[in-house]
Amino acid sequence: MLSYVLAGLGLGSIYAIAAGSLVITYVASGIFNLAFAAMAYAVARFYYFLLVEEDWAIVPAAVVSLFVFAPALGMFLYAVLFRHLRLRSTLVKLMATVGLSVALPPLVNLWLEQPTDPTAPGLAPRPLATFQVFGSTINADQLTTYIGLVVVLLVGVGLLRFTNVGLKVRALVDSEALTSLSGTSPGRVSLGVWAASATLAGLAGILIAPTAGLSVGSMTFLMSAAFAAVVAAKLRSLPLAVGVALVMGVATNVVQKYIDPSSDFGAAVVPSIPFAFMLLFLLFYALRGQAGDLVAGGALDRAIATQGGDPTVVSAVTGGSNRRVLNPAVIAGVVIVGIVAFLPGQLDRFWSGLLAGGIAIAIALLSYTLVTGEGGMVWLSQITFAGGGAVLAAELVRNQGWDPLVAVLVGAVFIVPVGVVLGLLTIRLGNLYIALVTLTFGSLIQVLVFGRDPFYNFGSGQAMPRPEFTTTNDDFAYLALIVFCVLAVLIVNVRRSTAGLAMSAVRFSENGAKTLGISVVQTKVLVSGLATYTAAVGGGFIAMNAGSTLPDSFNPAVGLIWLAVLVTMGSRSIIAALIAGIMFVVMPQVFSTYVDSDYADVPVILFGLGALGLALHPEGVVAQTGNNIMRLFGRRKPAPVTQVPPGTPGASGPSAGTSDPALLTPAARGEAATITAGGQA
Amino acid sequence: MTTSESVSVGSTSLLRVEGLAVRYGAAQSLFDVTIDIPVNGTLAVLGSNGAGKSTLARAVSGLVPSCGGRIVFDGKDITKWSPTRIRRAGLIHMPEGRGVFPGLTVLENLRMALTTEKGSKEECLERAFTLFPVLGQRRRQLAGTLSGGEQQMLSLARALMVSPKLVIADEMSLGLAPKLVDVVFESIGRMRDAGVAVLMIEQFASRALGFADQAIILQRGSVTWAGRADEAGEELLHAYLGGATAA
Repeated sequence: MLSYVLAGLGLGSIYAIAAGSLVITYVASGIFNLAFAAMAYAVARFYYFLLVEEDWAIVPAAVVSLFVFAPALGMFLYAVLFRHLRLRSTLVKLMATVGLSVALPPLVNLWLEQPTDPTAPGLAPRPLATFQVFGSTINADQLTTYIGLVVVLLVGVGLLRFTNVGLKVRALVDSEALTSLSGTSPGRVSLGVWAASATLAGLAGILIAPTAGLSVGSMTFLMSAAFAAVVAAKLRSLPLAVGVALVMGVATNVVQKYIDPSSDFGAAVVPSIPFAFMLLFLLFYALRGQAGDLVAGGALDRAIATQGGDPTVVSAVTGGSNRRVLNPAVIAGVVIVGIVAFLPGQLDRFWSGLLAGGIAIAIALLSYTLVTGEGGMVWLSQITFAGGGAVLAAELVRNQGWDPLVAVLVGAVFIVPVGVVLGLLTIRLGNLYIALVTLTFGSLIQVLVFGRDPFYNFGSGQAMPRPEFTTTNDDFAYLALIVFCVLAVLIVNVRRSTAGLAMSAVRFSENGAKTLGISVVQTKVLVSGLATYTAAVGGGFIAMNAGSTLPDSFNPAVGLIWLAVLVTMGSRSIIAALIAGIMFVVMPQVFSTYVDSDYADVPVILFGLGALGLALHPEGVVAQTGNNIMRLFGRRKPAPVTQVPPGTPGASGPSAGTSDPALLTPAARGEAATITAGGQA
Repeated sequence: MTTSESVSVGSTSLLRVEGLAVRYGAAQSLFDVTIDIPVNGTLAVLGSNGAGKSTLARAVSGLVPSCGGRIVFDGKDITKWSPTRIRRAGLIHMPEGRGVFPGLTVLENLRMALTTEKGSKEECLERAFTLFPVLGQRRRQLAGTLSGGEQQMLSLARALMVSPKLVIADEMSLGLAPKLVDVVFESIGRMRDAGVAVLMIEQFASRALGFADQAIILQRGSVTWAGRADEAGEELLHAYLGGATAA
C-alpha cells in the first residue's frame, strides 16, 4: 500500500506543480493557460536536446533550460500574446492559448526535430538509484519530484508572502489599475509571473518525461488532469490546488491496487479519476452558486475597461443590420457558397472527397456558431456530440437497417437531450467553468464510450455507408452543401426571430435580459438543443464521408483545434464556418502534396498562429476582411452620419438640451454622433 | 467664458490640459476639455453623474488613453505616458470608490504606495499612522475588511505620507458619514497647505467651491462653465447641476 501512496505522491507532486502554476498565472493575469502542456513540452524538449543530444551534464542542462530558456520563452510569449489578452473575453483567452498549444510544439519540433526516443531522462542521474522508505522502494526520479515540489512551495510561498516582488504580484491580482497608480509597472510584474510560470511548466515537463514520455500527447493528458485540481481550488486557492493535486495523484495510484489497470474496467476507470474529481467539485460549487466567472481586477479596472474583445459582442456592434436583402454579408455568403458549389465538378476524386469532408466538418462547426456565437457560451464538447451523432447513426444503419441519411437526421434528435441536460447543468456556471466542464465531459465520453468496444474497433469504428444516391464524392459534397445551406438559413432565421433577439439580449447581459422578462433558461435550452442537433448531424456527415465512424477523429483535443480555426475565421459568421471546415481538411493535404514533407506541420502552426491573432482581432478574419473591404469602398463615398435626436440614450456625443440653447455642444460643432450598442456615454 | 477658455494661466502652470478628448470604445465621453492648475493651485471639477469628471481624472493619470489634446505636467508632455511613469513624476490619483487593494493588509497597502519613494520608508509609515491612528491599530488587517471610512483613510494615507506635486481626489467623500467627510476635506486641506496642488472632483459642490481657488463645471463631457470658485453662485450651480447636487 505504501509503495502505491509513494508513487502516487510523485504523480501528485507533478500535478501540484502544474496546478500551482496555473492558479498563480490565472489570478495574476486572468488567463487560464491551456498551453501549459505545450510550454512544458517545449522546455522539456530543450532540456533533452542539451542533456542527450548535446551531451551536457544534468546540472548545467537543467539550469540553462529552467532558468534561461524557460523564462525567456515565458517573457517572449507574454510580449507577443498574453499582454494583449488581459481584458479579452473568456472565449478569446481560451482560444488564444489553444492556438499557442497547437502552434508551439510543432514549432519546437521544426527547430529541434521530433525526439527519436520518447523515453527521456529526468533530473536524476542514470542509472537510477533506489532508496528504501519504510520498507517501500522509491527511485531517484520520484525523490527529485518530491524535492521539486517542496522547493517550489518553499520558494513560491516565501517569494509571494515575504518579498516586495510577491507584494507587487498580489497587488496586481487585486487591481492592475491601482498597481499602476502606485508607481509599479503591471507589465513588468506580469513579465515576471509568466517567466516563473514557464519555468514551473518546464520543471513539470522535465519531471514527467521519464514516466509519461517526451511527447505532447502524454503531457497534455497529464496536465489536463491537473486542471481538476485547479477547478477544485476554484481557480484561485493555491493551498487547495496543491492539496487536491496530491490527493488525486495518490488516489489514481492506490486505485490500481484494487483494480487491475490492464483490465477493460481498469483501463476506463483509472484515467477517469481526475475528471471525476473535477465533475464532483464543479457540481458542488455549482449547487452552492460559487462557480461564477471570476471578475478580473477591482472596480476601477472594470470602470476603465472598454470593449471586452468578445467576438460575439464585437460582431454585433460592427455588423450593422442584417435585414437588408443586398446586405454585403449576404452577397459575400452567396459568392462563397457559389464558389464551393462550383468546385466538385472541377476537382478529381481525391480532392472532391476532401472538399466533402470539409463541408461535413463545416456543418458541425455551425453548432459552435450557434452555441458560442449566438448563445455566448464557451462549449468545448460539440465534437463529442458530433461523435455521438456519428456512432448513433451507424448503429441505426447497422442494427435497424435505416437509410444512412435518415439515420443521421433522425438519430441526431436523440443526442439533443444530452446537450440540453448539459446546458441545464452548466447554466449557473461562469464561462471558464462551462468550458472546463464541457471539455471534461468530452474527455470522459471519449474514454468511456468512443474508446471502448464495440464503438472503437481498433480505431476504425463502425461502418457508416453513404446514401445510395450519393456514392460519388461530387454527389456527396453537393448533399453536404445542401444540408449546410439549410441549417445556415435556419440559423439566420433563428437569429432574426424573437427567440434570436432574446438570445442576443442574454448574450449581452443575463441580468438585463431577466429584467425584461426573458427566460434565460428557456433561451439557453433552445440554443443548446439546436447546437447539439447541428453538431450531431455534422458528425453523421463526417462519418458518412469517411465510410466509418473513426472514433479518434472526435477527440476533444481535435475539437479545440476545430473551434480555434472557427473562432479565427469568426465565431458568428456562417461563411466563416464553411471556410474553416474546408481549410481544416484541405490545407494539411495541400502542404503534404505540394510542399516538402518536412513542412507537413506548417498548417497546424498556421491554425495556431491564426488563433493567436485573435488577441489583436477578436472579431475573426472574415469579419475583419469584410470590414476592410467595406472601408475600401467606403473611401469613395462618405459614410452617412446617423442623426441622433437630442437626449437619445446610448448616443456617444452630448446633445443640445432644449432648455440650454447657448451651450456649444459637439453636435453643434459639427462632430459626428454615432449610436452605440449599449455603450455608456 | 467659453468651453475652451482656460481656467487660469498662472505664470507657473503645474498641470495644463488642452483640448482633451477621450473615448471608451465607440462612446466619446470628453470633448475638448481645457484646464490649467498652477503650482499650489486647487481646482474643483463639478458636474452631475456621467458628466465625465472621473474620465478627466483617469485621462490625466494615464489610466485611459486620450484621443485628442495634450496634457502637460510639470513642464513635460505626459499625454502618452503610462500611469506608472506619471505616478513617478509626482502625480497621485486617488480614484473614485475605495482606492485600496482589498486583498492586501493595511501595512502592505501602505508599502505599495512607497515603492517609488527613495527616502526613509519607516518615517513615511510613521507619518501615516500618526495622521490616522486607527490604521496603526489595524495594520495587519486586510484592507477589504475595513469599514468604508477606514478604507478612505487608508487611501488618503497612501497620498499623505509621500510628497507628490499634484493630487487628484476623485469623489473621496462619496458614501461617507458627515464626520468622515470632514476628515477627508481636512486631510486634503493639509496637502494643500503643504504646497501640493489639488484637483478635486466632488458632488458636494458648495464644500468643494469653498475649498478650491478655481472651478469648472462639466456637462456631458464638455466644460460648460469655468472661473473662480467664489464666482460660482447658487443660480449657476442650479442651472447646471440641479438642486440636489448643488446643495
